[in-house]
Amino acid sequence: MAQNQLKTQYTDLKRSFEAKPADLKKCGSLLAKLKIGLIETGLLTPQGEHGVDDLVVARDILEIGAIWSIRTRDVPSFDRYFSQLQTFYTDYSSVLPPSKNEYPIRGLNLIRLLTQNRIADFHTTLESLPLPADAIADNQYISHPVNLEQWLMEGSYSKVWNARERAPVEEYKFFVDSLMGTIRNEIASCEEAAYESLPLKDALTLLFFNNQSELLIFAQQRGWQVDLSKSLITFATKGEEQVDIPKQKLISSALAYARELEQIV
Amino acid sequence: MKSTDKDENKDEKKQENKGEEVKKEPPTPLAEIKSNFVLIDRAVSTLEPRFTHRVLRTLTTLVKRLDETIIRNAIQEAYPKESTTKSTLISWLPTTSEDIEMQVDPTPTSAATAKFAAPVTSEPVPEVDIYLRLLIINQLLKSTEGVSKAKELSVETVKKMQALNRRSLDSIAAKVWFAVERAFELAGDISEARPMFLAAQRTAALRHDDDTQASLINRLLRSYLAYSLYDQADKLVSKTTFPVSAGNPQYARYHYYLGRIKTVQLNYSDAHTNLQQAIRRAPPATVAPGFYQAVHKLFVVVELLMGDIPDRSIFRHPVLEKPLKGYFEIVKAVRTGSLSQFQQTVLKHAALFQADKTHTLITRLRQNVIKTGIRRLSLSYSLISLKDICVKLHLDSEEDAEYIVGKSIRDGVIDGRLVHEKGWMACGGAGGVKRGYGADVAETFSRRIGYCLELHNQSVKAMRYPLNAHRKELADAEGAREREKELAKEIQEGDLDDEDLGGEF
Repeated sequence: MAQNQLKTQYTDLKRSFEAKPADLKKCGSLLAKLKIGLIETGLLTPQGEHGVDDLVVARDILEIGAIWSIRTRDVPSFDRYFSQLQTFYTDYSSVLPPSKNEYPIRGLNLIRLLTQNRIADFHTTLESLPLPADAIADNQYISHPVNLEQWLMEGSYSKVWNARERAPVEEYKFFVDSLMGTIRNEIASCEEAAYESLPLKDALTLLFFNNQSELLIFAQQRGWQVDLSKSLITFATKGEEQVDIPKQKLISSALAYARELEQIV
Repeated sequence: MKSTDKDENKDEKKQENKGEEVKKEPPTPLAEIKSNFVLIDRAVSTLEPRFTHRVLRTLTTLVKRLDETIIRNAIQEAYPKESTTKSTLISWLPTTSEDIEMQVDPTPTSAATAKFAAPVTSEPVPEVDIYLRLLIINQLLKSTEGVSKAKELSVETVKKMQALNRRSLDSIAAKVWFAVERAFELAGDISEARPMFLAAQRTAALRHDDDTQASLINRLLRSYLAYSLYDQADKLVSKTTFPVSAGNPQYARYHYYLGRIKTVQLNYSDAHTNLQQAIRRAPPATVAPGFYQAVHKLFVVVELLMGDIPDRSIFRHPVLEKPLKGYFEIVKAVRTGSLSQFQQTVLKHAALFQADKTHTLITRLRQNVIKTGIRRLSLSYSLISLKDICVKLHLDSEEDAEYIVGKSIRDGVIDGRLVHEKGWMACGGAGGVKRGYGADVAETFSRRIGYCLELHNQSVKAMRYPLNAHRKELADAEGAREREKELAKEIQEGDLDDEDLGGEF
């Protein structure tokens, strides 16, 4: 009976998810019910033998859940769905037919790690992708975050900005927006170090702002001095920083050398 | 691992002229096996694992010289006539035409038999059985047809070992696990063996069976890394403690795997230390060239990622020169900071890097190349326009160049300023010279000293001391104390004398 109910709920979910515009609220409530159903049938974290069809259904539900989480801007929920999907993607990869949503979702996960500045996790995930290295460039879902990371690291921020429009799936844009916030702060900190002063007009383009008022608010947040009459931003020179001698550290390392020497002699 | 092909070639060659060689070499393989039986027996009866270690140390060289006939003879001689263990052991050996030859021409072997032992009447210890199984598995693994059989046998051997549950078996068991992994890997399904390894690892940890535990942790790490499951591998490392008493080869492997994991996680300095340890603990380059090469490949990449340029002498090493050629070209590209050269090299050697699983790591180097390029420019020009930077570094647009230079200034790669209105970068200033003193020097110094101290401590730990040697020292100390006492007594007496004398005066 549970199986039947699951089936009808699943088709329901699929219908409301694929409808345009998708009924997110309904999807949410259906997903909650379906997850309970999955737990009851032991399909949420499958162990041992299950029918291929059942597994496919379970995977579909979770995939919809993941995408739904992005649409409702619920990142922690996406995180949970993604970890549940891992089982299907890695352990059952030989049994199940490949899903067309797999790489978009993996790509979304990569972008999520990038926006949260978890670069180490980003690379670990990238390494464990079941793709040969040259296929990464061909897979648009994966190459997108990979390129973003590379540009971020070398500092080609304008490329990141331009890539925003080229997101392979609609959902990517959600992350790209929050990525822009990170980038702006990055650029701003670079500018503080690299320039003495900067005309407002140029700062506008460099920071990808559309109008001056946004820039002014941003400048205020970072504590820049804005001279409106000359339309110039002056960055506070940090002056000659007093370099502290790390006494504590030096003492402790000197003591450590002494102790080691004592042991040797 | 990669050296196996070479080894196999060597084996073939050896087997070709086996006929003469076996007779000439002082201990024939058969004799060696026989003496190993004695050692194992002694190890079991005296509860002294040292003897077993001695047996296992010769394993690799011995296996290379073995063939089915030798093993068969060894089994024949070790067991009494109607032994079930014997028949099961023999049944695992493939029956080839050689056997018939052997029966026709048994002269060298029977001569050896006569020399060594009278017919055995009692069943030898089970350790001998497992040791023989180990030899058989290794023998089976030499040919491709034997792999599936080896897998079967290895699974059965493991079951037997677990049923026997003898502590004197532990060090042999560690080697058996290695053979198990090899069998499964050659058969192409290590992931199947993983649950078995995990279960065995738990048991080994509970029994403080250090040899097996070390071996199994490495097996597991290897199997995780083979499937690029860095997350799981990392969790395994954090949840287990690698036994301190593990042998150098196991340590070398463990450090190599740790190095791999850490590199992926961008923890380059830790990875560097791990790989350095792995290189130091690895067997000499000529003995295990495969491992030596694999570690060095990763090591070079990690050094580059850290912003260092690897030592040139690495690329001149006879064992490393050829396999590291692609990496050498990468190093050259990074050193000159030429992005186009770097790109070309990566493309040219893509297949090599993918086979070594370093491709993604090398693509991470791109930013280092750019940084080196900018640094070179900043050193050689006091003023340079962004456009020129763009041309020289093969960047896509001036806009990019501006951001990239800005980032390098912030990261402290170069010392300079951007002048946006004029579109140039002004480099160098009075402030630039000051850096490099004080804290920086102290840090470098402490890093180098730390390295030396660690080297010293590790080598002290690696030293072996003869058993009971301290007894002698104790006796000496006792003697010294005695003498001291006497001396003290004499002095006291002398004092008294003095006093006496004093009294007289």
